[in-house]
Amino acid sequence: MADSLDFETLVADYYAPLYQFAFSLTRDEADSCDLVQQTFCIWAGKGHQLRDGSKVKTWLFTTLHREFLGTRRRQGRFPQVELDTATAQLPAVSPATVNRLDTAQLLRALAQLDEVFQAPVTLFYLQDCSYNEIADILEVPLGTVKSRLTRGLGRLHELLTGETKPKKL
Amino acid sequence: MTRDEAKDILRRYRPGTADAEDPQIAAALALAQGDPDLAGWLEQQGARHSVIGRQFRQIAVPAGLKEQILSEHAAQQKTFLRRPRLVLAAAATIMLLGMLALLIFSSRKREDTLAVYQQQMVSVALRGYAMDLTTNAPAPIRAYLAQNHAPADFVLPAALQQAALTGCAVEGWQNSKVAMICFRTTAAGPSDLWLFVVARGAVPDAPANALPHFSRINRLTTATWTQGDKIYLLGTEADVRTLKQYL
Repeated sequence: MADSLDFETLVADYYAPLYQFAFSLTRDEADSCDLVQQTFCIWAGKGHQLRDGSKVKTWLFTTLHREFLGTRRRQGRFPQVELDTATAQLPAVSPATVNRLDTAQLLRALAQLDEVFQAPVTLFYLQDCSYNEIADILEVPLGTVKSRLTRGLGRLHELLTGETKPKKL
Repeated sequence: MTRDEAKDILRRYRPGTADAEDPQIAAALALAQGDPDLAGWLEQQGARHSVIGRQFRQIAVPAGLKEQILSEHAAQQKTFLRRPRLVLAAAATIMLLGMLALLIFSSRKREDTLAVYQQQMVSVALRGYAMDLTTNAPAPIRAYLAQNHAPADFVLPAALQQAALTGCAVEGWQNSKVAMICFRTTAAGPSDLWLFVVARGAVPDAPANALPHFSRINRLTTATWTQGDKIYLLGTEADVRTLKQYL
């Protein structure tokens, strides 16, 4: 499989979304570059084992996510901020001004999400991944993906707009 | 399904994608069609998704990242391509060393030649040896040599039989035992005689000649001959004329 896919074309197609995914997770340029580089390095060594060419995108994102989790475990890096303590630090964006949202605001809001929501939310927006693809990439069940998206997206919108979802009784 | 439940489900709905095929979303969309408020919320939700998605895709990718990845890959490929060359180079080096070792080995002087044997035995005589057995009786000497697996059934020239025995020792040569029998002459000056006896097979290039061959080795005058299955080496610090008196 790796032989039939031109490495340069593959890099051209995926390095940017992979970096954006990595940056959403790490919020650090150097770490993100490392993750992307490492992902393609692994592809160069193991990509030939992939039989189904249509799974290349999933394979790359899965690999990057695994590397992210592995690096974080090894280094204890990418500290996460607890949602409750961080909410107060986040400037609210009114529903009317959501259109003027910039990337920095978005990433700050994303960082306030519980860790398990960050990757699925990013993939949801970034690559228009289907639910099944997100489940494959994150290696979690489909139902978990839907649940995490529902909660993660709801919380992200709350953080960005200042709107609070009515609590269920 | 209530409106709030529909909203929860539709939060993860992206218009124009396969999301609408999800049964829960399909049901919520159906509900929105008959609920203007929900439909309005859904439209607003779609606009938010569009803005947020655009911002995600605007995360700036560092310039040169692509080139860096390709460059790294090219470097790895080069290293990979170099590996077989390294293996070949290593194999060639090993072969060369092997050939060199073979050449050195084959050009080395054989250790089991008569000349080396003679040199070594002369050195034993000259370096100050200790006799294993000191006696002037032939029988104990033969017995001792036999007991120590050295040649004991040697044949002495008639003249040498007249020389006085002083003792014997067992020496080693390659993997063979050498009988060293010591005599004393009655001549004036240096009076020691040493006879070394070894199995003929221990010295492959020994001549089959039964006649003694005389040579000067170090400070000794020596006579070497073959008799039966043994090689005899007789040496003395005296001159060849003295030596010949005992052959």
